[in-house]
Amino acid sequence: MNTELKDTVPRSSTIVHRLAVLTVVLTWPLIWVGGLVTTYDAGMAVPDWPNTYGYNLFLYPYKTWLLGPFDLFIEHGHRLLGALVGFTAIGLVISAAMTEERRWVKILSAIILLLVIIQGGLGGIRVMLSDRVFAMIHGSTAPIVFAIATAGAVVTSRWWKQLSVANHVAVAPDNQAPHNHENANSGMAIPSAGTITVISVLLIVCFTQLVLGAKIRHLQPTDSPSWFLYTVWAHVITAFLIWLLTAVVWRQLRGSSDFSVSRPGIILVALTAVQILLGIVSWVVNYGWPSFLQWFPGASGHLIESKNYVDALLVTAHVAIGPLILAVSTVALLRILRVRYLSRHSFQ
Amino acid sequence: MFRSLCCIVLLSLVAAFSGCDTKIEQFDPNQVYSMTLARSRAIPMDAALQDASEATDSLFGTPNDPRWPTEFLDESLADLVDSARLVQAAGPVLSLQDGTQQGLYREHCAVCHGLSGSGNGPASMVQNPYPRDFRHGLFKWKSTARSERPTRDDLIERIRHGIAGTAMPAYPLISNDELDAIVDYVIYLSIRGEVERDLLSAAVDEMGYEEEVPEDELRLKVPASVGEDSLTEGNEVTLEILNEVAQEWADAEQYVVEVPSPTVAKPTESELTESIERGRKLFHGQIANCVGCHDEDGLGQTITLDYDDWSKEYSSRIGLTPSDSVDMKPFLDAGAMMPRQIKPRTLKDGIFHGGGDAETLYRRIVQGIAGTPMPGIEVVAIESHQGLTVDQVWNLIRYVQSFASDENQETANESR
Repeated sequence: MNTELKDTVPRSSTIVHRLAVLTVVLTWPLIWVGGLVTTYDAGMAVPDWPNTYGYNLFLYPYKTWLLGPFDLFIEHGHRLLGALVGFTAIGLVISAAMTEERRWVKILSAIILLLVIIQGGLGGIRVMLSDRVFAMIHGSTAPIVFAIATAGAVVTSRWWKQLSVANHVAVAPDNQAPHNHENANSGMAIPSAGTITVISVLLIVCFTQLVLGAKIRHLQPTDSPSWFLYTVWAHVITAFLIWLLTAVVWRQLRGSSDFSVSRPGIILVALTAVQILLGIVSWVVNYGWPSFLQWFPGASGHLIESKNYVDALLVTAHVAIGPLILAVSTVALLRILRVRYLSRHSFQ
Repeated sequence: MFRSLCCIVLLSLVAAFSGCDTKIEQFDPNQVYSMTLARSRAIPMDAALQDASEATDSLFGTPNDPRWPTEFLDESLADLVDSARLVQAAGPVLSLQDGTQQGLYREHCAVCHGLSGSGNGPASMVQNPYPRDFRHGLFKWKSTARSERPTRDDLIERIRHGIAGTAMPAYPLISNDELDAIVDYVIYLSIRGEVERDLLSAAVDEMGYEEEVPEDELRLKVPASVGEDSLTEGNEVTLEILNEVAQEWADAEQYVVEVPSPTVAKPTESELTESIERGRKLFHGQIANCVGCHDEDGLGQTITLDYDDWSKEYSSRIGLTPSDSVDMKPFLDAGAMMPRQIKPRTLKDGIFHGGGDAETLYRRIVQGIAGTPMPGIEVVAIESHQGLTVDQVWNLIRYVQSFASDENQETANESR
């Protein structure tokens, strides 16, 4: 008995995938610039929204933008880049509507556009209410938009479709089930349900960590010192928990012969290591060397320089790597789900 | 149409999310000092705190709308703080199209020093030493005598160049105008805090505040207008305190400690070596006795059990144990910081918090460091056990400065 795959070979033009990738590629710098806006306290450099000092966003004199104050440069630049991401997302929805066969991918593209609009709206509220809580929410939801956009790029990718085609062709005529937990066609190990659980936990913990980070970055002058202290400790402990989880994920995925499945594991471990290092750097450039690291050469004479450009970039890199970890975890999860889904349905 | 659509989306999102910024309507009353007085005088302070806070708010306005009480100040004190600069430094962070920054204090200072300059901003607990509490009018790094206020230049120096080895950053990029605005705001917060503290003390020590407020004549209040003919005694005391505190700041320049030149202002290499050696002996000797705290050769390993004056006020000076968390809990709940033992500086690494130039070190040795156990030493005309001569102080300076050059030398050797 040979039943056809429920998931038939998806057909869509490459434009959908290209636009999905472009959305991801543009969203990451957008997060960087947004991080710089917070680092430089430039959130209120333009007091109106969606206009910029009364001008339509796109008609604001470019010379004033480029040659004006740095705060204005990054805030207006953040808005322009945001608008570009919005246009790309619109293009994605249109191209998906016209060429994509999978209904759920069309819905996903619409969700991406909706999230981009909401994200822009949150930025607008932050400005119109001059409210740092909304700045924090805006900063916390950006990684979700980035992760969902990444999901869009994954499900429209050639790998996703090739794997589908391969399985479709590889449906065993004698209805033999695969052995040893391996995909019959490719011989790749099928990640276990435990792996999915671990990555799902990783995603949740990663997002929690990003919210904690956003809270640390958007301190209110009235926040309690002890509350801040607990938040910082939670952030530090969660960082090492994430590193542990990524190590588990790497261990579970490394057996896969498909690099697309195994590679995210090692990338996650490496990114988290870099992120922890950047976290320490961010702390040092903001608050100096902690007491327990005073033995470090130069620590006792370290002078913090407010809004030093290199320091600001390092801090912002810490802000940007977090969403990247979330996005890579999303990639890993989706690919595993895909492999498991196909392995289950290929031999029904 | 587009704008309306945006507004609808925005309003929906506002409705969807709760928890906007905490409203900042007024400065927090100084509950820690109020509790300190309550314990030391054994008098309930609620009524005094209420009136002192109201009088202070009435004089100085709010964090979003600060005011400099020019009308109640002597003419000579009216320009001590510039009202326009206060406005620029206060309120939420905002930058204008021409690059003018507003809300400078919240942008640069409030996270550590707190909204009212109480030194307990949200990031204060993760710092060692704690950020300065401006409300005592007590500053460590200054050119003036130990008990005096710092000059504007002292504050500018600290903000512009920061304090190496602490969480106090340097601000090399802010403009001079912005720096002036921040300095004005720090002076404003300091005077505001001192006035509030003095009003609290006066309330219980002079005006008869107890569980209830005293009669109207004695209540600490700001008069409704300047030209009011019949000021109550409470009005007079309030304005007197205001003017006294402001006067101390205005007089700061008069108390700058002069730094006399040594007999040999430009020593040769051998003279310098001899001077350093004499300084080394003084450092380890009984008159200066720097070694008692800073340890042999400035290694700073001596164990001391002392605290700074800010912490002592609400702990050891009112009979509480600074290290006892149960004793301290009510004060911590009221916004105080858990007292930390103050450690003598390790001088050997050549890092000096208040600056390592000779003039600064001279003042440090002669005046000590305000608010800390670091004592000053008397300058005497001829060598005696009473103090140090100017030349002896200079010997000490050269010895202490030699640590920095030793450190540089070691660094240079390592890099070779």
